[in-house]
Amino acid sequence: MQRRQWAASLVVAVILVGAVLAAAETRKEFHFKVRHRASLSIVNQYGPISVKPASGKQIVIVAILYSDRVEVDPNQRGNRVSVSSHLLAGADADSGRVDYEAQVPADASVTLHSATGPLHAEKLRGDVFLEGNTAIVDARDLNDGHIHVKTLNGPVTLTNVSDGHVEITSVSGDIVLNSVNGPLVQVNSSSGKIRYDGDFSGGGEYLLTSHTGDIEATAPAYASIEVVAHSIQGKVENDFLLQPERYSFIPGAGSAFAGTMGKAASLVKLLSFSGKIHLKKR
Amino acid sequence: MTCEEFQRVLTQPESGDTMEQEAHLESCSPCADLVGDLKAISQQARLLQGSEEPSPLVWNSIEIALRQEGLIRQSGTARVPLSTASARPRLGWLLPVAAAVLVAFGILLHERGGRSPQYAEQQSGLRSPVVELANDDVQLLRMVAERTPAMRAAIEADLRSVNAYVRDAEQSARNNPNDEVAQEYLLSAYEQRSMVYEMALDHSLP
Repeated sequence: MQRRQWAASLVVAVILVGAVLAAAETRKEFHFKVRHRASLSIVNQYGPISVKPASGKQIVIVAILYSDRVEVDPNQRGNRVSVSSHLLAGADADSGRVDYEAQVPADASVTLHSATGPLHAEKLRGDVFLEGNTAIVDARDLNDGHIHVKTLNGPVTLTNVSDGHVEITSVSGDIVLNSVNGPLVQVNSSSGKIRYDGDFSGGGEYLLTSHTGDIEATAPAYASIEVVAHSIQGKVENDFLLQPERYSFIPGAGSAFAGTMGKAASLVKLLSFSGKIHLKKR
Repeated sequence: MTCEEFQRVLTQPESGDTMEQEAHLESCSPCADLVGDLKAISQQARLLQGSEEPSPLVWNSIEIALRQEGLIRQSGTARVPLSTASARPRLGWLLPVAAAVLVAFGILLHERGGRSPQYAEQQSGLRSPVVELANDDVQLLRMVAERTPAMRAAIEADLRSVNAYVRDAEQSARNNPNDEVAQEYLLSAYEQRSMVYEMALDHSLP
């Protein structure tokens, strides 16, 4: 009998807590009609932002507000849509949180900014700019556009990016690139690790630079690359049999290797001050 | 009036000097320094605006300073004067670039001035394991602490990290002036530092 009463009390408590939480949350939905190659900017202090493609010429944004200490300011000027979270007095990371989910035309350019994140973008063809302090950044299945990512501590993962103009800067977040290629792939980290797994295709320039973070690049045997790897204070390791370079490469100090594979269509530079560099064969 | 309120009205073009602002300026040296710097930049920008292109003296000054710092190497070829009309007929776009380079270089020198003991260690080849914060860093952290206190510790850690990056990259560039890789490190390090400032300021403003 006592067990039944305890279970009933628990159920009531759960329902009450759920009701209180639900009452505190507010759901808002915004619709914007746009044309070809629209742009969307979402600025959020606290909370996740996720963007996916949708058919039709409109941008749909769903925002979940976690308290009345934060407001959402939508704005449209022509083909440019911006939505920002507006913190009111007394707001903190919990009460100022807003969760955003946006659907955009696949060719739209997207700028997402959240201090805490996470930030997520997928299946887009326009430019994508993602920025967050501690935000986990995950972007996948992006084509053709410029992809710029900036984080202070948040880890960054890019997956299936083709013909991208990629620039990633993070102070201490680890950066992982899976099947990322394009005319420019540039990664700059201070202490975070950099991991690239792909074929360095596209005849592009791949520049992976770190201060203390290790760099690990994995490529297939058929990769067509010219490689320069150099660590001033760290070790370098190479699994490939590289042909000597056309010109002599004389590093100023530290460990290095350089050479070409195949037709050397892409240029790969792996540079670290004190991190370990490893070019691995898949 | 707080520093935050003062800097907010500072960005509004229509804001004139009020008693309240003047009182704040008298009592707050960081804001007074900021206003002084902005006025100096504004005056220099006006001088640049007056000419169609930067004076060769500007470029010479930058080149000499960078060479003295060991950040660029001696070129074997003579530099073509920028005023040569046939070489570059329209150079108006270089004005903002020149201004940006001047400001960036000024910041660089200012930073070094603020951490001279550390710089002396670099010159002697001894690297300090603990990276000091420059005056600008301390001011930035103060702003962050006022606006978003929870972020201060993380930003400070990031600043120390990128300062170490800049320190090592500068030393590498100095030791290996002909090494392109060393120049790449330097650019990457400055980019990191610039990003930390940008993001910290972004979150510190209303």
